[in-house]
Amino acid sequence: MAYGLRFIRSAWPVASALALLLLLWQFGAAALDIPTYILPRPAEIFVTAIAKWPLLGDALTVTLIEAVGGFLLGAAIGIVLAVLMILVPPLEALLMPIAVVINAVPSIAFVPLVLLWFGLGMESKIAIGALAVVLVVLLNLLAGLKRPEADAINLMRSFGAGRIGILWRLQLPAAMPGLVTGLRVGLARSTIAVIVAEMMGAYSGIGQVIYQATGQVDYLTVWAAVFVASLGSLALYGVLVAIDRKLVWWR
Amino acid sequence: MNARALARSPVASVVYVAAAWLVLVPLFKVQPRYLPPLPVVLADGLSVWPDLVAGFWRTLVETVLGFLAGVVLGVGFGIAFSASRIMERAFLPIFVALQTVPVIAFGAIVVIWFGNTIMAKVVIALYLAFFPIAVNTLRGLELADPQRIALMKSFGASHLQLFLKLALPTALPNILIGMKLAVALSLAGAIVGEWFGDTVGLGVMLLQALYFEQIPRVWVLIIACGAMGTLLYGALVLLERRFVWWRTD
Amino acid sequence: MPDETTAVATPPHLQLVNVWKRFGEAPKQTVAVRNVDLSIEPGAFVTLIGPSGCGKSTLFSMISGLLPPDSDGSLLLNGKVQQDGALLGKIAFMPQRDLLFPWRTVLDNATLALEVEGMPRRRARAKAEALFPEFGLGGFEQHYPHQLSGGMRQRVALMRTFLFERDLILLDEPFGALDALTRSMMQRWLLDIWAKHRRTVLFITHDIDEAIFLGDKVVVMTARPGTIKCEEAITLPRPRDLGVVTTPEFMAVKKKLLAVVEEESLKTFAAASP
Ligand SMILES: Nc1ncnc2c1ncn2[C@@H]1O[C@H](COP(=O)(O)OP(=O)(O)OP(=O)(O)O)[C@@H](O)[C@H]1O
Ligand SMILES: [Mg+2]
Repeated sequence: MAYGLRFIRSAWPVASALALLLLLWQFGAAALDIPTYILPRPAEIFVTAIAKWPLLGDALTVTLIEAVGGFLLGAAIGIVLAVLMILVPPLEALLMPIAVVINAVPSIAFVPLVLLWFGLGMESKIAIGALAVVLVVLLNLLAGLKRPEADAINLMRSFGAGRIGILWRLQLPAAMPGLVTGLRVGLARSTIAVIVAEMMGAYSGIGQVIYQATGQVDYLTVWAAVFVASLGSLALYGVLVAIDRKLVWWR
Repeated sequence: MNARALARSPVASVVYVAAAWLVLVPLFKVQPRYLPPLPVVLADGLSVWPDLVAGFWRTLVETVLGFLAGVVLGVGFGIAFSASRIMERAFLPIFVALQTVPVIAFGAIVVIWFGNTIMAKVVIALYLAFFPIAVNTLRGLELADPQRIALMKSFGASHLQLFLKLALPTALPNILIGMKLAVALSLAGAIVGEWFGDTVGLGVMLLQALYFEQIPRVWVLIIACGAMGTLLYGALVLLERRFVWWRTD
Repeated sequence: MPDETTAVATPPHLQLVNVWKRFGEAPKQTVAVRNVDLSIEPGAFVTLIGPSGCGKSTLFSMISGLLPPDSDGSLLLNGKVQQDGALLGKIAFMPQRDLLFPWRTVLDNATLALEVEGMPRRRARAKAEALFPEFGLGGFEQHYPHQLSGGMRQRVALMRTFLFERDLILLDEPFGALDALTRSMMQRWLLDIWAKHRRTVLFITHDIDEAIFLGDKVVVMTARPGTIKCEEAITLPRPRDLGVVTTPEFMAVKKKLLAVVEEESLKTFAAASP
């Protein structure tokens, strides 16, 4: 009850701002006589999105599966690597430089490579999605795991805690905010990377729809695809935020 | 800098990775399809050196222009939002949402607007840089400790004084975090922008390498992109050292 | 007779009349300060003690103009009623935490209030620099707060307050973080400064010795909701030196105050357990 009230109170400014922007767009574009191919009206985009839903819906499903698959794979690898590096310090010395160097390259630069390696199917998209996630998660989690000071670790040791005990009771909770940041940034990156990879070569997916529509000068479909993709990634983000709340329970 | 710090520096990482590449690839007979030997990649890079330099320069210009414009707009909006509570409550969620949107998809649209000019890439880079900077600026401005605000008020500080002497310095570390996130996105934006049709730039070369399946060339370009990313990031780190010298408690 | 005329001519420097502060709405309301009446004469040194959480800092926030008192009471400065916020910039207030700005050097932290007042940086710095040896901070002008010890940080905060030259100074446990030696040195130093400048000082402390040693008057607050429990005039002769602590008069006052304070402190804890 109180929660619902709070939701309404925080939702109405956003809703009205959104409505205002859309109205401004709709009627501003009409008033200024901007041709549709430059800036279609929101209503047109919406109608196109519905009319082309069979195409867009299928494409969105493919893209979301790839993005989520890549995200989960990358997050899992990143978390495992970070924990291993904390437990086995020589591993960190061995692998960190590689992580730092790979992290310096924008992940989309690897798109041609994964396409050549894994082909035009889903595998290549999942691979690039995972690559986009793995390093943010690894670096953020590792920084978080190292946050507790020597004093706090020594206190735990004086209680008789072992490496695993310290990791579980002290380092992991301390690292949760860092992990959450990593996951959020990672999700946005993996969606972008997947769509970009689809543009460069795919059998299906939102990126491919955008690419083909651009080629056919069908700009309304481009806009509709962007709109649908936005809704999709917004939904993903919403799910992630809900999960994050559970991960950082003490805030 | 002592030996330990040197061993942990990014330069050391690069040397280490290069050495590993040089030694391990022949040792394990890695297929060139996955990772060609380093000398092959370097030779390929040298064979297209003038193109590479021209492409690097073009992409750098696009990235930097877009990024700088994004900084100006982002910081401006961040300040405006922090000044108005209702603006913030109305627009920040939209911003956070837009940040998660696969903005690169807008590339196609931007190219419709600006054609194949440098402007198109600059706008894409700007668009990508804008959100993290605006959001981080706002968050940073809101970090000012209420007790410090109270202290300043007890001195009779005006709004402007509160902003200049307390809120802005408090926000600076966050603004720089936003800028670091943004610069990588600007670079990605510029590269992808070039894919929608251009003749010069690292993105263009990347696309060509993909079509002709030139794996060594792809690696050359990956290295070039990494170098540019590092260059830009390094510049921001220097800026950070210059302007955020304190340690928060 | 002459006494009465002077009383009319100079009103108390600060007067609190039926001051209340309640936080939150009815069911979960916290009454932080209740029905406080207090008047402080110009140039007096008044110390305030009370159990933790009894509302001392809240009282200070109201006096410095940061927090409006509830509408049933009023605050008078030099006999004039002060509207909400009117006191901002009129009172030198040192909060409990040092609140130094991490990006400013020690020197620039000290001059913060002067800068806010609009004094040119050069003059503000020159003025502050002169005080560094006196505050035991000589040579640390260009250091940053994270390079200082807790006691040094506290002294920087104190210097910042003193540079903001106002007739009424509020100090919220200024020596709380200092070691015993520095603390007693700073106490005597504070008395010197006060004797020289004759500003009115209101000083919060947890230390009864400190309260008696410094004050013309010790005000004791009750457990939360805090109100004035009693006021004790301290007639020990000035200037006071270390020896005063061992005099029978001092001991007598201390014994009396200890009893009162202990009673209130016990209430704080008794209230917490069922
Ligand atoms: N903004 C606020 N909202 C709600 N309650 C508050 C607020 N500020 C203070 N309080 C409450 O008012 C009471 C008095 O707090 P205050 O900080 O004035 O105590 P204090 O006497 O200074 O304690 P200490 O000696 O420990 O510093 C406390 O119970 C506190 O929880
Ligand atoms: Mg207090």
